[in-house]
Amino acid sequence: MSAGPYNYEYIFKYIIIGDMGVGKSCLLHQFTDKKFMADCPHTIGVEFGTRIIDVAGQKVKLQIWDTAGQERFRAVTRSYYRGAAGALMVYDITRRSTYNHLSSWLTDTRTLTNPSTVIFLIGNKCDLDSADGSQRDVTYEEAKQFADENGLMFVEASAKTGDNVEEAFLETAKKIYQSIQDGRLDLNAAESGVQHKPPQLGSDFTPNKDPCSC
Amino acid sequence: MTDTEDLLNETVLPEDLKKYEKVYHEQLHGGSVTRQAQFNYAWCLVRSKFPVDIRKGIILLEELFRSAADAEDERRDYLYYLALGNCRIKEFSAALQYTSAFLEIEPGNAQVKTLEEVIRKKMEKAEIQEGIKGIAIISGVVLALGSIVGLGMALSKK
Repeated sequence: MSAGPYNYEYIFKYIIIGDMGVGKSCLLHQFTDKKFMADCPHTIGVEFGTRIIDVAGQKVKLQIWDTAGQERFRAVTRSYYRGAAGALMVYDITRRSTYNHLSSWLTDTRTLTNPSTVIFLIGNKCDLDSADGSQRDVTYEEAKQFADENGLMFVEASAKTGDNVEEAFLETAKKIYQSIQDGRLDLNAAESGVQHKPPQLGSDFTPNKDPCSC
Repeated sequence: MTDTEDLLNETVLPEDLKKYEKVYHEQLHGGSVTRQAQFNYAWCLVRSKFPVDIRKGIILLEELFRSAADAEDERRDYLYYLALGNCRIKEFSAALQYTSAFLEIEPGNAQVKTLEEVIRKKMEKAEIQEGIKGIAIISGVVLALGSIVGLGMALSKK
């Protein structure tokens, strides 16, 4: 065990949003536990998950708020958007209506987060697009075009097989990290969604590997 | 495990609480409150920093639970937040009653099972702390008695 309470340099806050039943919680579980939860019940309010990842050699703790998609939670879940550094916006490639509602989710996100928030679009359930008898209802091309027009990152993923799930979470983190490096994201801003943990003196803070200059 | 603890430590923004309080009171003055308005307000209250707010939220959720006899899908939400609210004011036994009521309806629900586990841990921790406090009080009494006896003996030797 390391002496300090922090074994990471940064905390990034994420939210996961999108219609009911698109697989938001399943994506979270696949990412945090590397497991697929079959018949996952509707989320109550918000769920929470964390995982420490590596971004450009830095340890980053992702703090992920998974919001319920049901309409009756919509008002209060809006308060979780505030201070999100990353927003994963999810639709179901086999249900057109969930794709059609994206512009409303996007409007909410843009209104309630800040300009540096990285928005990543995920078309979930791509495992249902098999060669024999595809259930696909939204083409890759149109979703890609929607993403490009709105400046979003985009992948099709599967919470069931795990395809592209890591990528979505990690690419979002890389983009946020880049924004920090470029100075586009102000760490001191109250709602940047990023916290920087100073290294703990004398604990897991190891200076350069150079022999000491004593 | 610390994950759900973070969820329990997360608090509502004062402006959100005010916003939904206003809607609730407007409807209350108008004569009828929608379940949605009451739920939004209660959800904010149980996430407040102040126990008095949390208690108010619990009362509103209990009311909602009774009035939503016809809506099973809503009742599960109320049970969940009743458990969360009670846990936040350290009413652990009540909180566990709500999680077990929930799990009777939906035995496999992972979100509620995790919450239940956290409540149990917090309860154990609180009991241990109570125990330590108890020991501290007893040893204090023993010390005090000891000094009185010592004093008595010293005096009697004179």
